[in-house]
Amino acid sequence: MNIKFFEPVNFKEAAALLAEYGDDAKIIAGGTAMVLMLRQKLISPAVLVSLGRIQTDSDPSEIAPIPEQGASSSRDAALVPPVIRKALAPVVKQGNLHLGALTSLRLVEQSSVVRQFCPALAHSYSVVGNIRIRNQATVGGNLAEADYASDPPSMLLALNARVGLMQPNSTRELPFSEFTLGFYTTALESAEIVTDVIIPPLSERAKTSYHKFSSRSAEDRPCVVVAALVELDPDGRCTDLRVAVGAAIEIPQRLKQVESSAIGQKLNDDLIASIGDEYAHQLDPLSDVRGSAWYRREMISVIVRRSLTALKLV
Amino acid sequence: MPIPNLIGESIPMLDSTARVTGTVDYLINLRLPGMLVGKILRSTVPHAQVLNVNVPGFAGSTAVLTGADLENTPLYGAAIKDQAIVATDRVRYIGEPVAAIAAENLDLAEEVASLIDVEYNELDAVYDPKEALNPDTPRLHANYPNNVFIHSKLRHGNMETAFAQADEIFEDTFTSPPAQQASLEPHICAAQWSRANSKLTVWTASQAPYMVRRVLSEIFAIPQSDVRVIVHPLGGSYGGKGHIRIEPMVAALARKTDGRPVKLVLSRDEEFVTVTKHAAVITLKTGVRRDGTFTARQVTIHWGSGAYADASPLLVPQGMVRSVGPYRIPAVHVDSIGVYTNLPPAGAYRGAMSSQTTWAYESQMDIIAKKMGWDGLEFRLKNLFHSGEQFATGETLHDVNFIECLNASVRGLGSKPVTEAGASTRRGRGYAVMMKSTVATSKSQARLRLAVDGVLSVFTSTVEMGQGAHTALAQIAADTLGLPIQAVRLVGPDTDLTPFDSTTSASRSTNMMGNAIIDAGEKLKNRLMELAAVLFHVPANQLIFEDGCVKSGYVSSDSARSRRADSAGSITAAPVLARGEEILRLSGLDVLDETGEYSTALKMDPETGQGVSTPHWHQGAGAVDVEVDVETGRVTILRYSAASFAGRVVNPRMAKLQNDGNVIFGLGPTLLEEIVFDGGQATNANLSDYMIPSIRDIPLELISTCIESDAGEFHGIGEMTLPPVAPAVAGAIEDAVGVRIRDLPITAEKVLRALSAMG
Repeated sequence: MNIKFFEPVNFKEAAALLAEYGDDAKIIAGGTAMVLMLRQKLISPAVLVSLGRIQTDSDPSEIAPIPEQGASSSRDAALVPPVIRKALAPVVKQGNLHLGALTSLRLVEQSSVVRQFCPALAHSYSVVGNIRIRNQATVGGNLAEADYASDPPSMLLALNARVGLMQPNSTRELPFSEFTLGFYTTALESAEIVTDVIIPPLSERAKTSYHKFSSRSAEDRPCVVVAALVELDPDGRCTDLRVAVGAAIEIPQRLKQVESSAIGQKLNDDLIASIGDEYAHQLDPLSDVRGSAWYRREMISVIVRRSLTALKLV
Repeated sequence: MPIPNLIGESIPMLDSTARVTGTVDYLINLRLPGMLVGKILRSTVPHAQVLNVNVPGFAGSTAVLTGADLENTPLYGAAIKDQAIVATDRVRYIGEPVAAIAAENLDLAEEVASLIDVEYNELDAVYDPKEALNPDTPRLHANYPNNVFIHSKLRHGNMETAFAQADEIFEDTFTSPPAQQASLEPHICAAQWSRANSKLTVWTASQAPYMVRRVLSEIFAIPQSDVRVIVHPLGGSYGGKGHIRIEPMVAALARKTDGRPVKLVLSRDEEFVTVTKHAAVITLKTGVRRDGTFTARQVTIHWGSGAYADASPLLVPQGMVRSVGPYRIPAVHVDSIGVYTNLPPAGAYRGAMSSQTTWAYESQMDIIAKKMGWDGLEFRLKNLFHSGEQFATGETLHDVNFIECLNASVRGLGSKPVTEAGASTRRGRGYAVMMKSTVATSKSQARLRLAVDGVLSVFTSTVEMGQGAHTALAQIAADTLGLPIQAVRLVGPDTDLTPFDSTTSASRSTNMMGNAIIDAGEKLKNRLMELAAVLFHVPANQLIFEDGCVKSGYVSSDSARSRRADSAGSITAAPVLARGEEILRLSGLDVLDETGEYSTALKMDPETGQGVSTPHWHQGAGAVDVEVDVETGRVTILRYSAASFAGRVVNPRMAKLQNDGNVIFGLGPTLLEEIVFDGGQATNANLSDYMIPSIRDIPLELISTCIESDAGEFHGIGEMTLPPVAPAVAGAIEDAVGVRIRDLPITAEKVLRALSAMG
C-alpha cells in the first residue's frame, strides 16, 4: 500500500488537492469508515488528504473547549483526538445551529448547545457505534460516507438540515434531502468537501424524537430508524409533521404527501396508525441479516407508530 | 504457621492484572529474528478441480507453497486423513487454502498472492447436510458415497416393543445453523525449521500442544522429539483451537525459507472459513405413557461437518452419547451421522455437540409436557436420573445431581415475572437441564519441581486461555504441598519442557490435570520425607508432610488432613523438622522433581454404543425469565439463573465466572449467531454482520450456583451451563407468548412470524 498523504491546513487547500488528484484522492477525517474500507480493500486511493490539521477560520473563542461533561484535567485533554480539539463546537448563529464538519460525533452528543436546540438530534449522535467510534468519527465524514444504516442522517432529514460544501473556488449549500443519492453515494462533486451542517430553528412547539430499533444485539447497526418532528396547536391539531425513516431503505426518506395530509388533523391513535401503515406500505425495504423486507415493513409501521405516540404524550 | 487451605478460596486469577493491562504475552506479539509473514491464498469457488496454480517468478526471500510441493506429504485429519495442507487437485469449499506465501511483510505477501493465477474446473456443490445424502448430489470424497463419513449407532432395547407401550408418540425436528467460535484472538502460528530441515519448532495458539506435535511429526516424518510446540496464553478459544488447523500449513511453508521463521495470523474473515460449529438437524421420536414416564426414544442426527472430517470422527460419536438427555428412558436408539458438505470444516464448539443436542431434547420436553398437560418442571423432575441408574449406554451413573442442578437454577430466579398490564411485552419463564460426557480416554501428566529457593514450579501442558486453568492448578499444587500460592510458578506448555497432556478441552483440565498434580505432589512429599528420614535419623513412616514442612510424630495422613480442616486449632502441632527447601539444601540438592499422572481409558462397542462413555458426567441446568415484545418479536433476557455440578469447587469466584460466561456465550447461538452462506460464500464473515452478544445484551441479573458433593472430586465446569440456554429461552418465550421456535437462532423476526401465523 503506497499512498501519498497530505495534511492541508484549511478546507480550500484540501479542495485544491482533490481537484489536482481527481478520483485518485480520498478525504480522511476521523477515519472510522475510511480505514475499514482501506483495510478491506474496497477502495485503493493513491492519495489521502487528511483533514486532521485544518484550523477553522473562525474566531478562536469559538474553538471547542474540551466537552463540558468529562474532561477537566490535561490528561483527559490528551486523550481527545486532535481533530476534536481543533474543531468548532456547535454554535447557534442567527437562529441556525451550525455543526462543523470536523466536529466529532461525541462532541455533538455532549454539546449543551445541541441539547438545548434539539435533544433528539443530540440523541441521534449519541447512539452511533460506540464511544470510541464517536470520539473519532466526524459530522462531515458521517454524511459523506452515506452509510444507509447510520443514525444522524435520518434526524437531519427530519430537521430540514442543509449541508455546506466547498470547492476550490466556490461554496454552496444543499438541502440534506438532495445530498444523499443512494448506497454510499452523495451529490458531492469530485473536488468538493463538506464544511458544515446547518439546522434551521425549530418552533417552540416542535417536539422531536429519534428511535433506533435494532433487531439483534443492543450494539448492532439498526434494522429501522425513525426520526420524527411533531408540532401541535393548542387544540392538538398538527401544524407540522415530519417523519424520516432510515436504515431499512437505501437512503433516509420522508413521505411528504403522508406528512402534509396530517396537517390540520388531530393526532389521534387512528391517524398515527395510518401514518405508520402508509410508510410501511410506500417504502421499499431491503433484506439482510438484520431483517427481511417483510420484517422491516412491519417494523417501520410499529416504530413510526411508537415514535408518534410517544411525541403525542410528551 | 499453618497455611490456609487453598481449595475453595477465591484467589484472583494469577494473570488478571496482566489481562486487563494488556501485558499478557499473547502469541500475536511474537517477534523472532528474521521472521517472515505468512499469507494464504484461498479458493474462490465452492467445489472444483484445481487445474493449475500458476506462481509468477519473484525475487528475494519470498516463498510460495502450493500443492505441487506436497507430492510426498501425506493427507492429515484427526481420524480420517482427507485434508491436504494446501489444495492439490481439488478444492471443496470457498476459503480453502490453495497456496501459502511467506514474505518480508504482509503487503508483499498480499501482492504475491494477488499475482498467483488459479485455474479451476468448477463442480456442483452441496451445502445442506440432508441434501448431501441424496445419491444424485455431488460426492466430495471418493471413498464416501452419500457423503457420510461416520455413522455412530447406539442400540439399547427393542424399539418396536417400547414404542408399542407408549400412549403418545412425539416426533419433532430441531435445527442449529453453522456458527463461529469467535474468540477474540484469531488462529496464530509461527514455525521455524533448523537449517537442515530436521527439527521443527512451532509456536501456536492451540488447545492441544501434544496433538499438534504428534500430527506434525507424522506429516513431516520426523520423530516427535524433534518437534517442539510452544503455546502462549490464548485470547479465548471455545473449541476452535482444539484440533490441528493452520499448523501444518505454516510448518510446510517454513520448510521453504532456509531456516527463517514464518508467522501467520488469520484475519477475522479467515476465522469464519477455518472452523465452525456443526450445523445439525436433529429428529427426536419419543414414546410417552399417560403416567408421564418414557418408553422409548429414537434420535437421528445429521451433522453438517463441512468439506473435511477434521475432528468430526471424534465428535460425532460423542454427539451420539450427548443426544439422549438425562432422563430415564428404557429403550434408546441413536443414529449420529457425520456428513460432508461444501462448507468450511466444523469442529468443537464450547459445549461440543451438546449445544445442538440439548436444544433438541429439552425443547421436546416442553412440547411433550404442554401437549400432555403437565408442568414442565414437574415432568423433568419426575424423569431425571438418580445415582445408580443405568444410562442408555448400559453404564451405571454415579455422582448424579441433575435434580439438584435444576432445582437450584429455578430457586435462584425467585418469584415468577408478572406481565405489566397494557404493555406490548409479555413475560415468561423457561428451564432446561443437560448431560454431557467428557473425553473417555485421555491422559494428563504434571511435573512438580521444588527448588532450594522454596519455589514450587508446576510443569504442565494445560493451556491457559482465559478460563483460569493455571490459577486453579496452582491452587491445587499449593494446597497439596501446603505452600502459599505465592510460592507456586506455572511453566508451559512447551513440549520440550512440560510433560504430556491429551488436550485442554471438554472441561477436563481441573479434574485430570488437577489429579496429576496431586499425584506428583504426593510423590514429592514422599521423596522429601525419605530424605528427611536419612537426615534426621527418623523412620520415614514416622514423618508427616504438611504446611510445606516435614514434621515428626506418627500421625496417619487421614488424621493429618482432618486436623487441618479443624478450625479450632486445638490439636497440638507436630514438631517441625525442616521445611522442604531446607531438606534439599541439607541433602545437597538444587531441585527435586516428581512427575504425576492421571488417565482414563474407557471403551464402547462401536456397533451398539454400549459400554462406558465417560469417567464422569457433566451436569448443568438453567432457568430464565424473558420478556417478549409482541409487536417486534424482540426477546429481552430479564434474569438467568445457572447451576452446574462442580464436585468440589477450587475457586468459587472463577467458578461463578464460568457459569456466567457460559450463559452470556450461550445467548449468542440462542438469539443471534448464524453464519449465513450464499452459494457456499459466508456473507457475514465479520463481527458487524455476524452478531455476538455485547456487554449491553447481558441479562440484568445473572445468578450462579455450583453444586458440590461429599465425594469431593473436581469436576470441570467450563461448559455445563451453556447448552441449557437455548432451550430454556425457547421455553420461556413459549410461556410468554405461546409460540415454539425449533430453528436456532431465535431471531426477533422468527418470533414475530410465528406470532403472525398464530393470528
